[in-house]
This record gives sequence, structure tokens and C-alpha cells, in this order.
Amino acid sequence: MGLLSIYFKPNFLGLLKCLNKLNWFIVFFSLINLSVCIYEDQIGKFDWRQTYVGRIKFSQFDTVSTAKKIIVATEENVLAALNLKTGQVVWRHVFESASTGNIQLLQITEKVVTVSGSNPYLVRGWNSATGVLQFEWSLTLQNDEQADFSEWWVQNDMLVHMLPVFGSHIEVTMYNLATGQNRGSTTKLPAVWANDGCIVTAPYYTCIHGPMGNQQLFSLDVTSNTMHLISQPLSEYVTLSSYDSNLRPLDGNGIIPAFTVDDRKIIVIKNSRFELLKTDVVDPSASVAIVDIANGPVVLQTWIDDTQGFSMRANSVSTGAEVSELRTSDRELRLPDPEVSAAVCTKSAREQLVCRILLTGGDDSVHLMQQGGRILWSREEALANVVAAEFVDLPVSDLDAAIESEFDQKEGSIWAAFSRRLQTQFQQLQTLVHSIQSGEVLEDDPPSALVRDYFGLHKIIVLVTEVGKIFGMDNLSGSILWQHYESQLDTEHAVLYTRRAARHPPHDAYLTVVGKHQETGNGLIISLNPITGSLIGERVLQLDVQLLQVAVLHQADNEKLHALILLDKDENVQILPQSAAPLVENMFMYVAERNTARVQGYALIYNGQTVEALRTWLVQLGGSADAGHRIVAVAGKAAGERVHSPGRVLADRSVLYKYVNPNLVLFLTEGPDPLHKDVVVATCVDAASGAIVAAQAHRRARALPHALHTEHYLAYLYYNDKQRRNEIATLELYEGKQRWSGAGAAFTSLWAERAPGVERLAYILPAAPAAAAATATERSLTDKHVLLALTSGAIIEVPWAYLEGRRGGGEEGAMLPAPAPEIMLAPEARLNYNRTLARPRQLYTAPAGLESTSLVLATGLDLFYTRVAPSKTFDLLKDDFDYYLITIVLAALIVATYSTKYFASRKMLKLAWK
Amino acid sequence: MHFQSLAVILSLGLVNYAACIDYDGWLNIKIEHSLNCGTEKYCPRGNIALKSIRAGAAVVDQIHFNKGHIQALKNLAEIDSFYTIRTLVTSAENSKGTEFFSSVKAKAFLGNGLSDVINAWVLPNGAVIAVSFQVTNASQPLSLESGTQKINSNFYLRYVEQAPVPDTATYIQKLEREREAREKGDLKDNKSFLAKYWMYIVPIAIFVMISGASNPEPAAQGAR
Repeated sequence: MGLLSIYFKPNFLGLLKCLNKLNWFIVFFSLINLSVCIYEDQIGKFDWRQTYVGRIKFSQFDTVSTAKKIIVATEENVLAALNLKTGQVVWRHVFESASTGNIQLLQITEKVVTVSGSNPYLVRGWNSATGVLQFEWSLTLQNDEQADFSEWWVQNDMLVHMLPVFGSHIEVTMYNLATGQNRGSTTKLPAVWANDGCIVTAPYYTCIHGPMGNQQLFSLDVTSNTMHLISQPLSEYVTLSSYDSNLRPLDGNGIIPAFTVDDRKIIVIKNSRFELLKTDVVDPSASVAIVDIANGPVVLQTWIDDTQGFSMRANSVSTGAEVSELRTSDRELRLPDPEVSAAVCTKSAREQLVCRILLTGGDDSVHLMQQGGRILWSREEALANVVAAEFVDLPVSDLDAAIESEFDQKEGSIWAAFSRRLQTQFQQLQTLVHSIQSGEVLEDDPPSALVRDYFGLHKIIVLVTEVGKIFGMDNLSGSILWQHYESQLDTEHAVLYTRRAARHPPHDAYLTVVGKHQETGNGLIISLNPITGSLIGERVLQLDVQLLQVAVLHQADNEKLHALILLDKDENVQILPQSAAPLVENMFMYVAERNTARVQGYALIYNGQTVEALRTWLVQLGGSADAGHRIVAVAGKAAGERVHSPGRVLADRSVLYKYVNPNLVLFLTEGPDPLHKDVVVATCVDAASGAIVAAQAHRRARALPHALHTEHYLAYLYYNDKQRRNEIATLELYEGKQRWSGAGAAFTSLWAERAPGVERLAYILPAAPAAAAATATERSLTDKHVLLALTSGAIIEVPWAYLEGRRGGGEEGAMLPAPAPEIMLAPEARLNYNRTLARPRQLYTAPAGLESTSLVLATGLDLFYTRVAPSKTFDLLKDDFDYYLITIVLAALIVATYSTKYFASRKMLKLAWK
Repeated sequence: MHFQSLAVILSLGLVNYAACIDYDGWLNIKIEHSLNCGTEKYCPRGNIALKSIRAGAAVVDQIHFNKGHIQALKNLAEIDSFYTIRTLVTSAENSKGTEFFSSVKAKAFLGNGLSDVINAWVLPNGAVIAVSFQVTNASQPLSLESGTQKINSNFYLRYVEQAPVPDTATYIQKLEREREAREKGDLKDNKSFLAKYWMYIVPIAIFVMISGASNPEPAAQGAR
């Protein structure tokens, strides 16, 4: 199509003569990208999107409107409504991710009211059915330092703002909820007992104050006109010897003001006095909430029992009697640190208790439970914060594995091979017969058979989330296959390695997550089987030292496992498994310090017993450590990347050879400059020798953390401060018209005496980028496209031809329009058509088994998966290929051939008789 | 330590690079290695002095390797290890000095008669970001007859170039030129008649051929 459109160019020129050049360019661009867009019936065929809201901060059941919903406000600054029956998002508003979007209050009356931001605050009202904004007013506090301690609640259609000044007084202001009108002036209530351990149980403000051993419990209704301070000695409720000054408000949405003291006793405020409940807190870690059921309020508690697993109990507030309907214990339910976010109970027609309890786990999962402990639906909100992802191949089926192992065995006589052949063919026959016999049953099976498909499009995506939960996801359906929660895992800068692919049948696939321990910061290594999610090998390994760098050995040991090389803080090397140490050869590592832009290189040398790290080079990419430069992005080549063609054919049929250095790493640094405000320096460093291959600097610019690096291409994004726009700089490295080493010779970094030629250009990007990635295919035969995720929620596919540093020089150069300084972001090139992604954060690409296709996963608040074919699906029949038509045509042709033959012979016969 | 002055003055294409540097000043690179050092970890190998970064001319002054040095290098080469060089860069603005490390394979360094290339990369603000040593293919083996051996070093000062900016000016000019050309008269299409209208000619030709091929049949029948 691309080629054809070139030849039709004059036609279009004639047609569009009246249009100006720019319009023509857009039309031309759209022609080239025809294949990028999809047809209407292909929506959702190759892609899926999953929307998330993040960890729930506030939640409340919307029982007012007819369509039952749960309104949630989350840590991710999202306000959303979840369908009560399915858990799906009904509507969603994504606020700013900075503190200006922080949600401080969620209150549901007939409207949904939120207070968000942090001085100035925005008070907004939303329609609960549609999510449409109904009113909005802003509020700026004069006292900015104290503003963080503000407390908000809604009472009688008035928004109450309370600002405690510790040790002195409390300021209370009431506003009209819809208009923001102030009822009067701010009331100042004297409260010398206020401190930072105080809690709000609206409308009471409760504190513990007093000298050690003689503490008093104070509580004040801050909204009442008459100031009535409730105070009681604390020793009436808890024994003060074990007391560690801890007040905790109850979870859920309290219907009566109540709190827990010392995580043991529950106190409610009733008729202006404290009242100790008969029910104690079951477990110090238990979540306590007061829920109104038909026969009075009950205290609902959930906790994880060591023997019983997840447990829940409800006791009546007034009598302390247990409500048996709500007692639950479930050992199967894995819900760490359960917390009651919201609960609602009603009586059904047959006097039965119907409860809906929204539970949030420590792993950010959300579950809606009904009475009796049945989970109605679950949401894995951890997926709103994916930090690392990897595509893992599926294993081949048993049958294919048998065939492969048959061909693997080289030794043995002819007869042995023959008997093996017969044996496997008998097996194949058996399975065939078996599948025919139980054909119907097999088809009903869910796609449980996780085996590789013919085109290699079916894979498992392993996702590591910020909270420490690891997921295995089916890439075709997006369903979660397995999950593993590791509460100790700090996933900041966590890395994922596939250490053994699934194609070595007797051995399982092997995937390792390397992260940090939550508390100590030491290395934490989790090894699991990415197909089943079960722990294997090292399982969960806690190291006793902090790690500097991790790498995977390129040579596999005799179990086909790639060893993990760990460089710790003291520059010692650990190999996992230890037995792989003799395989360490020509291994180099680098360690980059983000804040000082100092990069060190190590050579790993095996000395017969252990592996030692020898520091071989050190560069200071900012000039010196105190120059203020910092590394913003590092882009190396993907492990196992292939380069299909070593050169590039130019218009004059000569070949320009690519400089393909597997050790090349692009460092993007930014720092202050006395003359040009900020400078961005891009440095290409050979990570084995420490030599700088190319470098360039941008003046008055700020770096964006997006860089990509494949083959001989490098690209990175930066913000041009002078022109106030985003730009993308591209570099291409070439050896020249002659090859430096013979064809097939291994590249060596240690013998680099020539410097490659660098072709560079910069382009304007008329959008704000959020992530960048290059497509990857099996053999790199297909064109490379650059995928850009924009903050507007689009993923745009830009052919490299529009970005290349060497413009118009290629064979295809003559075809391309004149180099426009601005990249056209055509709407047809948008991969996610009208499915906007909220806060895209990262793009991951992986090759499919099919050469033309590359798999793409975008993470962020939403997950989006699709596949792209940069050079069109040249190895695949079109999706709408008409098999029936071609069969009918073929059959008709055959029939026609034979019938004409018959008629022709008859005609000849007749002629002969004439 | 016996220093012997050896001046290698390199003149680079100064005119091209001069624009990249905002700052000028002197630069001193102290080279140290850990061969034959006795008790200390690093001992001096030489010194590179530049009077002006912008000019780029350098005076390289290095010691001669004696038998002890060569032996130490040979020991490293036996285990195929690295010969590590430490450099300390001082300048007018950075009197404290910045430390860099670089390594070459000891075997390669010995095999090429102690020849290396020293590249120092300089940012536009005059700060050095890296000093790297690489072995060059000198193809002159080590002559062990004489007691000492000269190090053949070539020093290059490399400048971090200024990156290109999106070329809007020429593009606008090009658009202007095209617009003018269009206003003056139509764009001259210098393609041949055939190249211009092939898409009309080919279908006609095919049509003619098809009709031509089907015509002779009745004619043949008539002849019979």
C-alpha cells in the first residue's frame, strides 16, 4: 500500500492543488499509515483495556440513588463509582497526581461531595449517578503552615472545617456546602490539650493529654454552640502501665462517634459522655467499624487469625451480644491486613440480614463480601501501580515436547530412532483418538491449556506492582492467572529477569524478581514459575547486604538456567546458583549513581574459586560529583536483541554500515549551567570499556526520563526551555561505507580505535510524552516504530522513518516528504483509538512468534494491551480474509473447467460431423 | 623516578570545535598507574598539560617503562587481567581535581608496544567528563633489548558537541519557495509523458490487448 500510494501521488497532487502544502502533507501521511488504523468490528479484538482506581482511601455506599453503587476516593487521587453487582467502574474522575489532587474528604448525601487539594482546597459536588460536576468552589486558608492538619466533614448541609493549633486552640469554620458561603466568622475554641495525636470522630475532637501516668481523655463537640468539654481520666479504660498513647478512629464510615484506645478498648461518645463498649478489640491489628444493622449498631471486626485465617465478627454495641450471621472465618481467602472500608446492612423481606461489606487488603485488593463470607467480586487495585513487566513465552504442549525431544536425540542407532518414531506416532494417534472421544468436553474447558500457540501470540505477562504483589496475566484475555503477595518486597527499581524460558521441557520456566527488603533495604530475591506462579529454586531469598547492581549471565548452565550475578555494596560478587561461577567470562557491569552522575564499570573475573569484581573504569558524566548533574534516563539495548541487517542501502546503491555495539548505553543527564540555565547532556558510553562513543549537549533544556535504544538508533526526549516545547532528539551511529570487521566477526569493545559517525537531528513533539518504547520483533526484519504514550491518554505509533537522524539518505529516502521539523501525530496512528488511558506511565514491548507482530503493554492507572505490525501483517492473512468466497470461486472454476472441457469436446464432435 | 621530557603537541581542527566551548582555561591531567609502585597503590605515570582547552594543544609527558614495569604488565597479561590507569584532572575552576579510571587489557597493551590513545571528553562548560585509554594497533612489538621502553600515547581532546535543534527555518523557507513557485506558474513537472500518465495508458493498453486477443477467433472461424 505504501509503495502504491507513492505512484498515485501525482493524482492526489492534481486533486489537492487548491489545498495548501500542509494539508497535502497530512493527506499523504494518512495514506502511508492506512494500515495502522483498525476497522470498527476489530475493536477489542486484539486489544483490551482494564481500568483501575488505586488503593481505596474513602468509600461509601450510595444507597440514595436507584442504581446501587459504591463511591470511592483513592490514594491515586481518583474519584470513582463502582457497580455494586459487578465491581466495574461506572464513572471515574482522575485528579492531578500531585498534592493538588489529594482527596481530603468524601461525603455522600444526595450528592457526592469531595474536598481535594492542599491549600487552596477545592470543594466539589458531583452527581452520583453520572459523575457530572454540579458545583465547585475554592477555599484558601490564611494559615498555610497549619493547613496540613485541617479536618473536614459535612454536617447538616454545612461543610465543617476544623483547624487545630496544637497547645492553644481550635478554629472551626462552617461553610454552606453548595455555595461556600460562610455562616459567620471563625469560632475559636480554647483547647490547650490539643496535640498531634488527636483524632476526629465527627463532630468530636478527641485527645489524650496530661502528664505520664495521669493522662486525661478529652473530647469536644466542636460544632455545638455551647462548649461542653468531656474529660475522663484515661486510667478508667486502660491500665496505664502498658499505655503508649495511641488513639485510633474506627474504619468505615462511623455512624456514631467512636474510637479505640491502645488498640484494645472501644469507646463511644454517647449523650456527651464516654461509654466503654463491652466488646474488646479482638486482635491489635484488627480493623474495627461500627455498622448500623436493622436491630441497632454493631461493632464489626476483621483480622487475620493465625489458625483460622481471615476472620470477621460482629457484636451489638448496646448489649455486646454476637451477631451470628456475620461471623466468618475463611482460611482460603488470602487477604492480608483486611480493613473494613464501608459496610451496609439491611433486612430483607424474610427478616434476613443482608449485608455488603467492602474490604480493602494490605495488597491493595478490594473485595465486596456479603454476610456469610461469600466474596461477590474482587478488584486488584495493585495493578494501578505496575513497576515492572515482562512477557514470558508459554511452554510447548506435551505432544510437541515429545516431538522436539525425539529430534533432539542425535545419538543412537537407526533401529532405536525408528522405534522411537513409532512410539511417538502411536502416542499421537492415542491423543487424537482421545480428543475425538472427549471432543465436546474439551471444548467446554476454559482456556486452561497454557501452551504455546502456532504464531507465538499467546504469552503470559508478569507484572510486579508497587505494593509488592506479583501477577501473572494472560495477554490475550487480560485475566489474572496467578498472584503472589510479598509484603516485605519494596519494589522501587525492582527488576525482572526470565532466567529460563519455557522451551526446555523437563525444566520449568524460571523468573526472578530482584527488589529490596521493605525495612532493611537489603536485596530480596523472589524466584517463581511464571506459568503457574509457584515459587521455585531460590524461592524467597533474603540477602544480608544491599545490592548495587544485578545482571543475568548470558551463558546458561547445564540446567539451561541463566545465573544471577549480584554486585553488593561492598563490591563483592554473588552468583546464584553458586555452581555457575566458572561460566563467568567476559562479563562487565556498570553502576550509575543517579544523583551524582558518576558511572563506574566493573569487569567480573573468575579466579578459579570465586568471582571478583574489578573496577575498570569511572566517568563523571556531570564533570564532577558536586556539579549538580544527575542522571535522568539510562537506555541500554534489550538483552538478546537481534540485528537483521548490518547495513543500510543508500539511494546510490552503496551500503552504509551500522555501528552495532551491544555494550552501548545511553545516559541522559541534566544539570545547571552558569550560562544556559540548564543543560541536558546525552552520552553514549561503551559499558565494557568505559569509552565515550558520542556525546551531545542541549542548552536551556530539561531532560525527560524517556530514552530508547535499539540497533544503531538512539532517541530521547527533552523539554526545550527556550522554545517551551517538547522535542525528541535522535542519533544514528554508522561505521561508514566500509565495515570495520569482517562479516560475522564478534564485536569487541576493547579494541575500539575508530569512532563511529553520528547522524543527529531533533524534532518537535507537539504533545507531552509520558513514556516511549520501540517495537520489537523476533528477527528484527520488520521496521522499527516508536511508540509514544502521551499524557493526553493516547499511544501514538510513529515510524522511525519520520524520526531518523539521517534524513532522506536511505533507499526509501526519495519517497518521504521533505523533513518536517514537527512530528505529525496522526489520529489514525493512535493505537488505543478512543480508549483513553489515564496516566500512562510505561510502555513494554515484546516480540511475538510472528515476525511481523510486536506485542505492546501500556501500564499506568489503566492497563492496555494490543499488538502492532509495523510493516503490516505480511506473514498473516488479513483478518477479514474471505475463506468461503475463495473456496466457492475455486470450486466454481474447477467445475467450469470440466464442464467447458465436456462442452468443447461435444462441439468438436459436432463440427467433425458437419 | 626518572622523568624524561617528551612533548607531543597535537593540533586539532580547532576552528570547528571552538564554538562548542563556552569557557576556556588550562587543564592538567595527572596519570597514575599501579605498576611497580612498591607500597603505594598508585604511582605517577605521567602528566598531560593543556594551556587552553579551546586550543586543544597538549603536552604529554610520560615515564619510560623499565623492566620492573614490563614484568608487572606481563604478570597481569598472564591472567588476562586489566592494566588500570587512574587520572586526576585539575583545572582553574576545579583545583581539587576529579578522579577518573580507565583500563586496557594488559595483554593487548604489551602486544602493541605500549601504544595507546587517550581521549578526554570536555563539556561545553569546560568540565572533563571522562578520560579513557584505549590500545591502538601499533604493530610494533616490544623491543626488550633496551632497558627502558617508551609509551606511545596519542592524546585527543574531544568536545561534547552542541545538539542540533529542530530545523524550522529551512522548512519554512522551503514552503515559501514552493509557494512562490506556484504563484509564478505551475510547478514544472519535468517527468516524461509516459511517466506522468502511465496509469491511464496501461489500462487502455491492456483493454486493447484483451479485445485484440478475443477478436481473431471469429476471424479464424470464418476462414475455415
